[in-house]
Amino acid sequence: MAMQGIDLARQTLLDALDLAILVEEEAQERYEEFAEQMDQYRNAEAGRFFRYMVENEAKHGEELSSRRAERFGNAPRKVTRAMIFDIEAPDYDAARGFMTPRQAMEAALASELKARNFFEAALPSIQDAEVRALFQELRDEEIQHQTMVQAELAKLPADEPFSAEDFADGPAPQ
Amino acid sequence: MSATGTTEFQPKDYKSDLKPIWCPGCGDFSVVQAIYRALAAIGRPPHEIAFVSGIGCSSRIPGYTTAYGFNSVHGRSLPIAQGIKLANPDLLVLAAGGDGDGFSIGGGHLPHMVRRNMDIAYIVMDNQIYGLTKGQLSPTSQKGRLTCTSRHGSLEAPVNPLLYMLAYGAGFVAQACPTDLAGMAAIIEAAIRYPGFAFVNIQSPCVTYGEEGQQLKALKAVSESLESLGHNPADRLAAMDLAQDYGSKLHLGVFYRNPEPPPTYGDLVKERQELLAKDAIPKERILDLFIKK
Repeated sequence: MAMQGIDLARQTLLDALDLAILVEEEAQERYEEFAEQMDQYRNAEAGRFFRYMVENEAKHGEELSSRRAERFGNAPRKVTRAMIFDIEAPDYDAARGFMTPRQAMEAALASELKARNFFEAALPSIQDAEVRALFQELRDEEIQHQTMVQAELAKLPADEPFSAEDFADGPAPQ
Repeated sequence: MSATGTTEFQPKDYKSDLKPIWCPGCGDFSVVQAIYRALAAIGRPPHEIAFVSGIGCSSRIPGYTTAYGFNSVHGRSLPIAQGIKLANPDLLVLAAGGDGDGFSIGGGHLPHMVRRNMDIAYIVMDNQIYGLTKGQLSPTSQKGRLTCTSRHGSLEAPVNPLLYMLAYGAGFVAQACPTDLAGMAAIIEAAIRYPGFAFVNIQSPCVTYGEEGQQLKALKAVSESLESLGHNPADRLAAMDLAQDYGSKLHLGVFYRNPEPPPTYGDLVKERQELLAKDAIPKERILDLFIKK
Protein backbone atom coordinates (compact mmCIF):
# COMPACT_ATOMS: atom_id res chain seq x y z
CA MET A 1 0.00 0.00 0.00
CA ALA A 2 1.56 3.28 -1.08
CA MET A 3 1.00 6.58 -2.83
CA GLN A 4 3.23 8.68 -5.03
CA GLY A 5 2.94 12.35 -5.89
CA ILE A 6 -0.12 13.00 -3.70
CA ASP A 7 0.20 15.62 -0.98
CA LEU A 8 -2.63 14.89 1.42
CA ALA A 9 -2.10 18.15 3.31
CA ARG A 10 -2.83 20.19 0.19
CA GLN A 11 -5.48 17.97 -1.29
CA THR A 12 -8.69 19.58 -2.53
CA LEU A 13 -12.06 17.87 -2.28
CA LEU A 14 -11.94 17.21 -6.03
CA ASP A 15 -8.57 15.45 -5.71
CA ALA A 16 -9.78 13.51 -2.68
CA LEU A 17 -12.88 12.30 -4.51
CA ASP A 18 -10.78 11.30 -7.51
CA LEU A 19 -8.39 9.45 -5.21
CA ALA A 20 -11.30 7.61 -3.57
CA ILE A 21 -12.78 6.68 -6.97
CA LEU A 22 -9.43 5.32 -8.15
CA VAL A 23 -9.01 3.34 -4.93
CA GLU A 24 -12.38 1.63 -5.60
CA GLU A 25 -11.48 1.11 -9.27
CA GLU A 26 -8.17 -0.51 -8.36
CA ALA A 27 -9.89 -2.84 -5.89
CA GLN A 28 -12.61 -3.70 -8.42
CA GLU A 29 -10.03 -4.65 -11.06
CA ARG A 30 -8.06 -6.75 -8.59
CA TYR A 31 -11.17 -8.69 -7.54
CA GLU A 32 -11.98 -9.21 -11.22
CA GLU A 33 -8.50 -10.64 -11.72
CA PHE A 34 -8.94 -12.89 -8.69
CA ALA A 35 -12.31 -14.10 -9.98
CA GLU A 36 -10.73 -14.95 -13.34
CA GLN A 37 -7.90 -16.77 -11.58
CA MET A 38 -10.46 -18.83 -9.67
CA ASP A 39 -12.21 -19.64 -12.97
CA GLN A 40 -8.96 -21.11 -14.27
CA TYR A 41 -8.86 -23.37 -11.21
CA ARG A 42 -12.56 -24.29 -11.49
CA ASN A 43 -12.96 -22.78 -8.04
CA ALA A 44 -16.55 -21.60 -8.41
CA GLU A 45 -17.21 -20.72 -4.76
CA ALA A 46 -14.24 -18.42 -4.26
CA GLY A 47 -14.83 -16.99 -7.74
CA ARG A 48 -18.44 -16.18 -6.86
CA PHE A 49 -17.34 -14.33 -3.74
CA PHE A 50 -14.74 -12.31 -5.63
CA ARG A 51 -17.40 -11.35 -8.21
CA TYR A 52 -19.61 -10.19 -5.35
CA MET A 53 -16.72 -7.96 -4.24
CA VAL A 54 -16.36 -6.66 -7.82
CA GLU A 55 -20.00 -5.55 -7.72
CA ASN A 56 -19.54 -3.92 -4.32
CA GLU A 57 -16.47 -1.98 -5.34
CA ALA A 58 -18.13 -0.92 -8.59
CA LYS A 59 -21.16 0.31 -6.68
CA HIS A 60 -19.04 2.41 -4.31
CA GLY A 61 -17.06 3.76 -7.23
CA GLU A 62 -20.26 4.80 -9.02
CA GLU A 63 -21.61 6.51 -5.91
CA LEU A 64 -18.42 8.51 -5.54
CA SER A 65 -18.38 9.34 -9.26
CA SER A 66 -21.94 10.69 -9.02
CA ARG A 67 -20.96 12.91 -6.13
CA ARG A 68 -17.99 14.17 -8.07
CA ALA A 69 -20.08 14.92 -11.15
CA GLU A 70 -22.70 16.71 -9.07
CA ARG A 71 -20.19 18.92 -7.35
CA PHE A 72 -17.47 19.42 -9.97
CA GLY A 73 -18.97 18.45 -13.32
CA ASN A 74 -16.32 17.40 -15.82
CA ALA A 75 -13.40 19.11 -14.09
CA PRO A 76 -10.11 17.51 -15.21
CA ARG A 77 -8.60 14.86 -13.01
CA LYS A 78 -5.15 15.44 -11.53
CA VAL A 79 -4.89 12.21 -9.59
CA THR A 80 -4.06 9.15 -11.69
CA ARG A 81 -3.91 5.39 -11.18
CA ALA A 82 -0.12 5.54 -11.43
CA MET A 83 -0.10 7.41 -8.11
CA ILE A 84 -1.72 4.70 -5.98
CA PHE A 85 -0.49 1.23 -5.09
CA ASP A 86 -2.75 -1.45 -3.59
CA ILE A 87 -4.68 0.80 -1.20
CA GLU A 88 -7.88 -1.26 -1.03
CA ALA A 89 -7.01 -3.89 -3.61
CA PRO A 90 -6.11 -7.23 -2.01
CA ASP A 91 -2.45 -8.13 -2.39
CA TYR A 92 -1.74 -10.48 -5.29
CA ASP A 93 -0.16 -12.79 -2.75
CA ALA A 94 -3.56 -13.25 -1.05
CA ALA A 95 -4.97 -15.48 -3.81
CA ARG A 96 -4.50 -19.24 -4.01
CA GLY A 97 -5.86 -21.50 -6.71
CA PHE A 98 -7.74 -23.79 -4.38
CA MET A 99 -8.65 -21.27 -1.70
CA THR A 100 -11.83 -21.90 0.27
CA PRO A 101 -14.65 -19.33 0.48
CA ARG A 102 -13.45 -18.62 4.01
CA GLN A 103 -9.95 -17.85 2.79
CA ALA A 104 -11.38 -15.66 0.02
CA MET A 105 -13.41 -13.71 2.59
CA GLU A 106 -10.40 -13.42 4.87
CA ALA A 107 -8.42 -11.93 1.97
CA ALA A 108 -11.20 -9.37 1.42
CA LEU A 109 -11.36 -8.63 5.13
CA ALA A 110 -7.61 -7.94 5.21
CA SER A 111 -8.07 -5.53 2.30
CA GLU A 112 -10.89 -3.67 4.02
CA LEU A 113 -8.69 -3.35 7.09
CA LYS A 114 -5.83 -2.10 4.93
CA ALA A 115 -8.08 0.56 3.41
CA ARG A 116 -9.43 1.59 6.79
CA ASN A 117 -5.86 2.01 8.07
CA PHE A 118 -5.00 4.08 5.02
CA PHE A 119 -7.83 6.57 5.56
CA GLU A 120 -7.22 6.62 9.32
CA ALA A 121 -3.49 7.29 8.92
CA ALA A 122 -4.18 10.06 6.40
CA LEU A 123 -6.51 12.03 8.67
CA PRO A 124 -3.95 13.89 10.83
CA SER A 125 -2.24 15.42 7.80
CA ILE A 126 -5.42 16.66 6.11
CA GLN A 127 -6.12 20.37 6.53
CA ASP A 128 -9.24 20.91 4.40
CA ALA A 129 -12.40 20.33 6.46
CA GLU A 130 -14.39 18.83 3.56
CA VAL A 131 -11.56 16.45 2.65
CA ARG A 132 -11.28 15.43 6.27
CA ALA A 133 -15.02 14.73 6.44
CA LEU A 134 -14.81 12.64 3.26
CA PHE A 135 -11.89 10.60 4.58
CA GLN A 136 -13.70 10.03 7.88
CA GLU A 137 -16.74 8.84 5.92
CA LEU A 138 -14.59 6.52 3.79
CA ARG A 139 -12.89 5.13 6.88
CA ASP A 140 -16.25 4.47 8.51
CA GLU A 141 -17.51 2.75 5.35
CA GLU A 142 -14.51 0.43 5.45
CA ILE A 143 -15.37 -0.42 9.04
CA GLN A 144 -18.94 -1.23 7.94
CA HIS A 145 -17.61 -3.45 5.14
CA GLN A 146 -15.43 -5.29 7.63
CA THR A 147 -18.44 -5.92 9.84
CA MET A 148 -20.37 -7.14 6.81
CA VAL A 149 -17.63 -9.58 5.76
CA GLN A 150 -17.17 -10.76 9.35
CA ALA A 151 -20.89 -11.53 9.53
CA GLU A 152 -20.65 -13.59 6.32
CA LEU A 153 -17.58 -15.36 7.68
CA ALA A 154 -19.43 -16.31 10.86
CA LYS A 155 -22.07 -18.10 8.78
CA LEU A 156 -19.49 -20.35 7.11
CA PRO A 157 -18.56 -23.75 8.50
CA ALA A 158 -14.95 -24.08 9.63
CA ASP A 159 -12.46 -25.13 6.96
CA GLU A 160 -11.15 -28.67 6.92
CA PRO A 161 -7.93 -29.04 8.95
CA PHE A 162 -6.01 -29.88 5.76
CA SER A 163 -5.63 -27.70 2.73
CA ALA A 164 -6.58 -28.53 -0.84
CA GLU A 165 -3.16 -27.12 -1.79
CA ASP A 166 -1.59 -30.12 -0.03
CA PHE A 167 -3.11 -32.47 -2.57
CA ALA A 168 -2.85 -30.42 -5.72
CA ASP A 169 -0.12 -30.38 -8.29
CA GLY A 170 2.83 -31.21 -6.06
CA PRO A 171 6.39 -31.66 -7.32
CA ALA A 172 6.70 -34.76 -9.46
CA PRO A 173 9.90 -36.44 -10.67
CA GLN A 174 10.32 -35.96 -14.40
CA MET B 1 18.04 5.16 -23.10
CA SER B 2 16.48 8.12 -24.86
CA ALA B 3 13.10 7.42 -23.41
CA THR B 4 10.96 10.49 -23.08
CA GLY B 5 7.54 10.67 -24.65
CA THR B 6 5.22 13.61 -25.09
CA THR B 7 1.84 11.86 -24.77
CA GLU B 8 0.73 10.89 -21.30
CA PHE B 9 0.28 7.16 -20.87
CA GLN B 10 -1.41 5.30 -18.08
CA PRO B 11 -0.38 1.84 -16.81
CA LYS B 12 -3.49 0.29 -18.42
CA ASP B 13 -2.22 1.37 -21.86
CA TYR B 14 0.47 -1.31 -21.55
CA LYS B 15 -1.84 -4.07 -20.35
CA SER B 16 -2.85 -6.56 -23.04
CA ASP B 17 -6.14 -8.43 -23.26
CA LEU B 18 -4.44 -11.75 -22.48
CA LYS B 19 -5.20 -13.04 -19.00
CA PRO B 20 -2.11 -14.21 -17.08
CA ILE B 21 -2.17 -17.92 -16.36
CA TRP B 22 0.33 -17.83 -13.52
CA CYS B 23 -0.68 -19.62 -10.32
CA PRO B 24 -2.84 -17.37 -8.12
CA GLY B 25 -0.55 -15.71 -5.58
CA CYS B 26 2.49 -15.72 -7.91
CA GLY B 27 4.89 -12.81 -7.46
CA ASP B 28 4.94 -12.23 -11.22
CA PHE B 29 1.48 -10.61 -11.08
CA SER B 30 3.01 -7.73 -9.14
CA VAL B 31 6.04 -7.61 -11.43
CA VAL B 32 3.93 -7.08 -14.54
CA GLN B 33 1.98 -4.34 -12.73
CA ALA B 34 5.27 -2.64 -11.85
CA ILE B 35 6.34 -2.89 -15.50
CA TYR B 36 3.08 -1.23 -16.65
CA ARG B 37 3.71 1.59 -14.21
CA ALA B 38 7.36 2.00 -15.16
CA LEU B 39 6.47 2.12 -18.86
CA ALA B 40 3.72 4.68 -18.21
CA ALA B 41 6.24 6.84 -16.37
CA ILE B 42 8.69 6.54 -19.27
CA GLY B 43 5.87 7.48 -21.65
CA ARG B 44 6.95 5.69 -24.83
CA PRO B 45 4.01 4.34 -26.88
CA PRO B 46 3.69 0.54 -26.85
CA HIS B 47 4.60 0.23 -30.55
CA GLU B 48 8.04 1.70 -29.78
CA ILE B 49 8.82 -1.01 -27.24
CA ALA B 50 10.11 -4.53 -27.86
CA PHE B 51 9.89 -7.01 -25.01
CA VAL B 52 11.82 -10.27 -25.35
CA SER B 53 11.79 -13.26 -23.03
CA GLY B 54 13.12 -16.79 -22.85
CA ILE B 55 11.16 -19.78 -21.58
CA GLY B 56 9.53 -20.32 -18.21
CA CYS B 57 6.62 -19.01 -16.15
CA SER B 58 8.03 -15.49 -15.97
CA SER B 59 8.88 -15.53 -19.67
CA ARG B 60 5.17 -15.29 -20.45
CA ILE B 61 5.38 -11.67 -19.40
CA PRO B 62 5.74 -9.95 -22.82
CA GLY B 63 2.38 -11.40 -23.85
CA TYR B 64 0.69 -9.57 -21.02
CA THR B 65 1.87 -6.21 -22.31
CA THR B 66 0.85 -4.26 -25.40
CA ALA B 67 4.49 -3.88 -26.48
CA TYR B 68 5.87 -5.96 -29.35
CA GLY B 69 6.68 -9.25 -27.70
CA PHE B 70 8.88 -12.24 -28.45
CA ASN B 71 8.57 -15.29 -26.19
CA SER B 72 11.75 -16.79 -27.61
CA VAL B 73 14.05 -19.72 -26.93
CA HIS B 74 15.20 -20.98 -23.54
CA GLY B 75 18.03 -18.79 -22.27
CA ARG B 76 18.25 -16.75 -25.44
CA SER B 77 16.30 -13.62 -24.64
CA LEU B 78 19.43 -11.46 -24.47
CA PRO B 79 21.00 -12.25 -27.87
CA ILE B 80 17.61 -11.80 -29.52
CA ALA B 81 17.07 -8.52 -27.68
CA GLN B 82 20.55 -7.45 -28.79
CA GLY B 83 19.72 -8.18 -32.42
CA ILE B 84 16.50 -6.19 -32.17
CA LYS B 85 18.27 -3.23 -30.59
CA LEU B 86 21.03 -3.22 -33.22
CA ALA B 87 18.56 -3.53 -36.09
CA ASN B 88 16.29 -0.81 -34.75
CA PRO B 89 18.15 1.35 -32.22
CA ASP B 90 15.15 3.63 -31.72
CA LEU B 91 13.18 0.87 -30.01
CA LEU B 92 13.10 0.68 -26.25
CA VAL B 93 14.18 -2.92 -25.64
CA LEU B 94 13.37 -4.94 -22.53
CA ALA B 95 14.34 -8.52 -21.81
CA ALA B 96 12.94 -10.72 -19.08
CA GLY B 97 12.96 -14.26 -17.77
CA GLY B 98 13.53 -16.40 -14.75
CA ASP B 99 16.64 -17.42 -12.84
CA GLY B 100 16.91 -20.75 -14.66
CA ASP B 101 16.58 -19.09 -18.04
CA GLY B 102 18.99 -16.27 -17.19
CA PHE B 103 21.67 -17.81 -15.01
CA SER B 104 21.81 -21.40 -16.23
CA ILE B 105 21.19 -22.01 -19.93
CA GLY B 106 21.43 -18.28 -20.68
CA GLY B 107 24.21 -17.52 -18.20
CA GLY B 108 26.91 -17.33 -20.85
CA HIS B 109 25.28 -14.33 -22.50
CA LEU B 110 25.45 -12.11 -19.44
CA PRO B 111 29.14 -11.07 -19.45
CA HIS B 112 28.99 -10.28 -23.16
CA MET B 113 25.89 -8.18 -22.79
CA VAL B 114 27.64 -6.29 -20.00
CA ARG B 115 30.98 -5.77 -21.79
CA ARG B 116 29.18 -4.54 -24.90
CA ASN B 117 26.99 -2.33 -22.77
CA MET B 118 23.91 -3.05 -24.85
CA ASP B 119 21.18 -0.53 -24.13
CA ILE B 120 18.73 -3.11 -22.76
CA ALA B 121 16.96 -3.42 -19.42
CA TYR B 122 17.03 -7.05 -18.25
CA ILE B 123 14.50 -8.09 -15.61
CA VAL B 124 14.94 -11.45 -13.93
CA MET B 125 12.16 -12.92 -11.81
CA ASP B 126 14.25 -14.98 -9.44
CA ASN B 127 12.19 -17.62 -7.61
CA GLN B 128 14.98 -20.18 -6.98
CA ILE B 129 13.12 -22.96 -8.79
CA TYR B 130 12.09 -24.20 -12.23
CA GLY B 131 8.36 -23.73 -11.70
CA LEU B 132 6.94 -24.33 -15.16
CA THR B 133 8.45 -27.82 -15.32
CA LYS B 134 7.19 -28.66 -11.82
CA GLY B 135 9.87 -27.72 -9.36
CA GLN B 136 13.41 -28.74 -10.21
CA LEU B 137 16.57 -27.19 -8.75
CA SER B 138 17.51 -23.92 -10.40
CA PRO B 139 20.86 -22.10 -10.34
CA THR B 140 19.74 -19.91 -7.43
CA SER B 141 18.26 -22.72 -5.30
CA GLN B 142 19.96 -22.75 -1.93
CA LYS B 143 22.22 -25.59 -0.83
CA GLY B 144 20.26 -28.38 0.85
CA ARG B 145 17.03 -27.52 -0.99
CA LEU B 146 14.66 -30.45 -1.38
CA THR B 147 13.10 -30.71 -4.81
CA CYS B 148 12.04 -33.47 -7.16
CA THR B 149 15.57 -33.45 -8.59
CA SER B 150 17.28 -33.22 -5.20
CA ARG B 151 15.37 -35.68 -3.01
CA HIS B 152 18.10 -35.67 -0.35
CA GLY B 153 18.92 -31.96 -0.62
CA SER B 154 20.91 -29.99 -3.15
CA LEU B 155 24.69 -30.40 -2.99
CA GLU B 156 25.30 -27.26 -5.06
CA ALA B 157 25.93 -23.74 -3.83
CA PRO B 158 23.66 -21.21 -5.55
CA VAL B 159 24.95 -18.57 -7.93
CA ASN B 160 24.82 -15.01 -6.66
CA PRO B 161 23.35 -13.04 -9.59
CA LEU B 162 23.98 -9.64 -8.02
CA LEU B 163 27.63 -10.33 -7.37
CA TYR B 164 28.08 -11.89 -10.82
CA MET B 165 26.69 -8.86 -12.56
CA LEU B 166 28.73 -6.43 -10.49
CA ALA B 167 31.88 -8.46 -11.09
CA TYR B 168 31.20 -8.54 -14.84
CA GLY B 169 31.16 -4.73 -14.68
CA ALA B 170 27.46 -4.02 -15.20
CA GLY B 171 26.65 -0.31 -15.04
CA PHE B 172 23.28 -0.75 -13.36
CA VAL B 173 22.47 -3.48 -10.86
CA ALA B 174 19.38 -3.44 -8.66
CA GLN B 175 17.09 -5.72 -6.71
CA ALA B 176 13.35 -5.43 -6.13
CA CYS B 177 10.53 -7.48 -4.63
CA PRO B 178 6.72 -7.45 -4.79
CA THR B 179 6.76 -6.60 -1.07
CA ASP B 180 7.29 -3.02 -2.26
CA LEU B 181 5.34 -2.41 -5.47
CA ALA B 182 6.07 1.32 -5.61
CA GLY B 183 9.78 0.69 -5.09
CA MET B 184 9.79 -2.07 -7.71
CA ALA B 185 8.15 0.21 -10.31
CA ALA B 186 10.67 2.97 -9.54
CA ILE B 187 13.61 0.55 -9.88
CA ILE B 188 12.38 -0.81 -13.22
CA GLU B 189 11.87 2.74 -14.45
CA ALA B 190 15.42 3.68 -13.37
CA ALA B 191 16.78 0.58 -15.13
CA ILE B 192 15.00 1.50 -18.37
CA ARG B 193 16.26 5.07 -18.15
CA TYR B 194 19.87 3.97 -17.59
CA PRO B 195 21.80 4.48 -20.84
CA GLY B 196 23.28 0.99 -21.17
CA PHE B 197 22.80 -2.54 -19.92
CA ALA B 198 20.72 -2.53 -16.75
CA PHE B 199 20.02 -5.58 -14.62
CA VAL B 200 17.17 -5.91 -12.13
CA ASN B 201 16.88 -9.05 -10.01
CA ILE B 202 13.37 -9.43 -8.62
CA GLN B 203 12.69 -11.82 -5.77
CA SER B 204 9.38 -13.11 -7.05
CA PRO B 205 8.17 -16.05 -4.99
CA CYS B 206 6.82 -19.27 -6.48
CA VAL B 207 3.65 -20.06 -4.52
CA THR B 208 3.45 -23.62 -5.82
CA TYR B 209 7.01 -24.92 -5.41
CA GLY B 210 8.56 -22.23 -3.19
CA GLU B 211 9.24 -22.90 0.46
CA GLU B 212 7.50 -21.04 3.28
CA GLY B 213 10.55 -18.90 3.95
CA GLN B 214 10.57 -17.69 0.36
CA GLN B 215 7.03 -16.32 0.35
CA LEU B 216 6.27 -12.62 0.52
CA LYS B 217 5.43 -12.56 4.22
CA ALA B 218 8.82 -14.04 5.07
CA LEU B 219 10.61 -11.83 2.54
CA LYS B 220 9.00 -8.74 3.99
CA ALA B 221 10.47 -9.58 7.38
CA VAL B 222 14.04 -9.72 6.05
CA SER B 223 13.92 -6.95 3.46
CA GLU B 224 15.81 -3.70 3.93
CA SER B 225 16.02 -0.80 1.51
CA LEU B 226 19.54 0.08 0.47
CA GLU B 227 18.60 3.73 0.86
CA SER B 228 17.79 3.19 4.55
CA LEU B 229 21.25 1.66 4.98
CA GLY B 230 22.79 4.86 3.60
CA HIS B 231 24.23 3.01 0.62
CA ASN B 232 25.78 5.16 -2.09
CA PRO B 233 24.83 3.59 -5.46
CA ALA B 234 27.90 5.14 -7.09
CA ASP B 235 30.16 2.99 -4.88
CA ARG B 236 30.75 -0.27 -6.70
CA LEU B 237 32.86 -1.89 -3.98
CA ALA B 238 30.25 -1.13 -1.32
CA ALA B 239 27.66 -2.61 -3.69
CA MET B 240 29.72 -5.80 -3.99
CA ASP B 241 29.97 -5.98 -0.23
CA LEU B 242 26.19 -5.76 0.16
CA ALA B 243 25.57 -8.14 -2.73
CA GLN B 244 27.32 -10.88 -0.75
CA ASP B 245 24.26 -10.99 1.49
CA TYR B 246 22.20 -12.46 -1.38
CA GLY B 247 20.36 -15.49 0.00
CA SER B 248 20.52 -14.36 3.62
CA LYS B 249 19.25 -10.77 3.57
CA LEU B 250 17.00 -9.08 1.06
CA HIS B 251 18.44 -5.70 0.10
CA LEU B 252 16.09 -3.71 -2.11
CA GLY B 253 17.11 -0.81 -4.30
CA VAL B 254 19.92 0.17 -6.62
CA PHE B 255 23.19 -1.53 -5.70
CA TYR B 256 25.19 0.23 -8.37
CA ARG B 257 24.60 2.86 -11.00
CA ASN B 258 27.65 3.96 -12.94
CA PRO B 259 27.74 7.74 -12.51
CA GLU B 260 29.59 8.06 -15.82
CA PRO B 261 28.05 5.50 -18.14
CA PRO B 262 30.35 4.52 -21.03
CA PRO B 263 29.01 4.67 -24.60
CA THR B 264 26.68 1.86 -25.52
CA TYR B 265 27.53 -0.70 -28.18
CA GLY B 266 24.83 0.88 -30.31
CA ASP B 267 26.50 4.30 -30.03
CA LEU B 268 29.85 2.83 -31.07
CA VAL B 269 28.33 0.97 -34.00
CA LYS B 270 26.65 4.15 -35.19
CA GLU B 271 29.92 6.07 -34.86
CA ARG B 272 31.77 3.40 -36.85
CA GLN B 273 29.09 3.34 -39.53
CA GLU B 274 29.30 7.11 -39.91
CA LEU B 275 33.09 6.94 -40.11
CA LEU B 276 33.05 4.29 -42.82
CA ALA B 277 30.07 5.67 -44.69
CA LYS B 278 32.12 7.78 -47.09
CA ASP B 279 34.01 4.71 -48.40
CA ALA B 280 31.05 2.39 -48.28
CA ILE B 281 29.84 0.72 -51.44
CA PRO B 282 26.33 1.87 -52.35
CA LYS B 283 23.70 -0.71 -51.40
CA GLU B 284 22.76 -1.37 -55.02
CA ARG B 285 26.38 -2.35 -55.81
CA ILE B 286 27.01 -4.68 -52.90
CA LEU B 287 26.36 -7.76 -55.05
CA ASP B 288 29.21 -6.69 -57.35
CA LEU B 289 31.63 -7.79 -54.63
CA PHE B 290 30.59 -11.38 -55.18
CA ILE B 291 30.65 -11.35 -58.93
CA LYS B 292 33.93 -12.00 -60.69
CA LYS B 293 34.64 -9.46 -63.37
